[in-house]
Amino acid sequence: MALAQAPNAGRMTAGPEDGQLVAMTLRGNPEAFATLVERYDRAVYHLAYRTLHDVEDARDATQEAFFKAFRSLRTFRPGAKFSTWIFAIAYHACCDRLNRRKRYSNEELPDRADAAPGPEQQAIALDEAQRLRTAIDGLPEKYRTVITLYHLQGQQYEDIAKVLDLPMGTVKTHLFRAKELLRRLLSGAEVTES
Amino acid sequence: MMYDSDDALDRALFTLPLEEPPSDLRASILASTAYRPAPAFSVWEVAALGAIAAVTVWFAFLIAMGGGGLFLRTLATIGSSVAASLTNVTLLAWLAAGAMTAFWLVFFTGSQSLAPAGRRLERDAGR
Repeated sequence: MALAQAPNAGRMTAGPEDGQLVAMTLRGNPEAFATLVERYDRAVYHLAYRTLHDVEDARDATQEAFFKAFRSLRTFRPGAKFSTWIFAIAYHACCDRLNRRKRYSNEELPDRADAAPGPEQQAIALDEAQRLRTAIDGLPEKYRTVITLYHLQGQQYEDIAKVLDLPMGTVKTHLFRAKELLRRLLSGAEVTES
Repeated sequence: MMYDSDDALDRALFTLPLEEPPSDLRASILASTAYRPAPAFSVWEVAALGAIAAVTVWFAFLIAMGGGGLFLRTLATIGSSVAASLTNVTLLAWLAAGAMTAFWLVFFTGSQSLAPAGRRLERDAGR
């Protein structure tokens, strides 16, 4: 049975490839970078929002990621994947924000967000997509990020490993555990692993 | 709905719609990157203008303090110092060595504008 395609895995894009758009931007064509932003802003925002759980923080992290990418476009290696590169920058920006939150907060960040959804959320969760989102939000941070990148990049473990700066084996283990936890959350079982 | 198999969960994950970003996000990204208005002056132009302004203020101060004589004497001292520097072989050799080093450093490392951590991350991602 064929699997559904991840939103950005091997995506077919009309027009020039990402590498060509980077080269065009470096030659002074702003429209080329606008096309890159158009292709990836939603995915980058998705990653930021899923990691940070805050609209304003996710917005700032997304903007910062594209700003840094634009400034250091010359360091982008031809042949590399722009999606992996921009996700790595975005993930780095999210980590900075999470660390800042930890530093300025007296409390430790919870490993699980929204562990116990309220009645309102439970009502919304009737929708299947929302139910899945709520379950993903219920994962510990490291698993949530891996699942989010898996959602964005598909089964391209090497790219996920590059974004997270983790060995591929660790990514596969995290993903395996994340899916297991997700299944348990979706079946309504109590999840205790942190 | 149950997700007993890996395939069922994968299918559900991959069909999950992405989060909707704020409506003005793309516009603000573009305004701070590709469509950012070019600065009126480049960095070296600002530096040159600043240097010219500083020298002008200094000369004006000299003229105001000691009249034309002090101004001319200072100008002569600067002129003779520059002339002495330009005929000093050791100084010229050091200047040339510095310029060559700077040139080779830029040539081999390129210009890099990000903070070290970000740069490392990008380098790893580009590997």
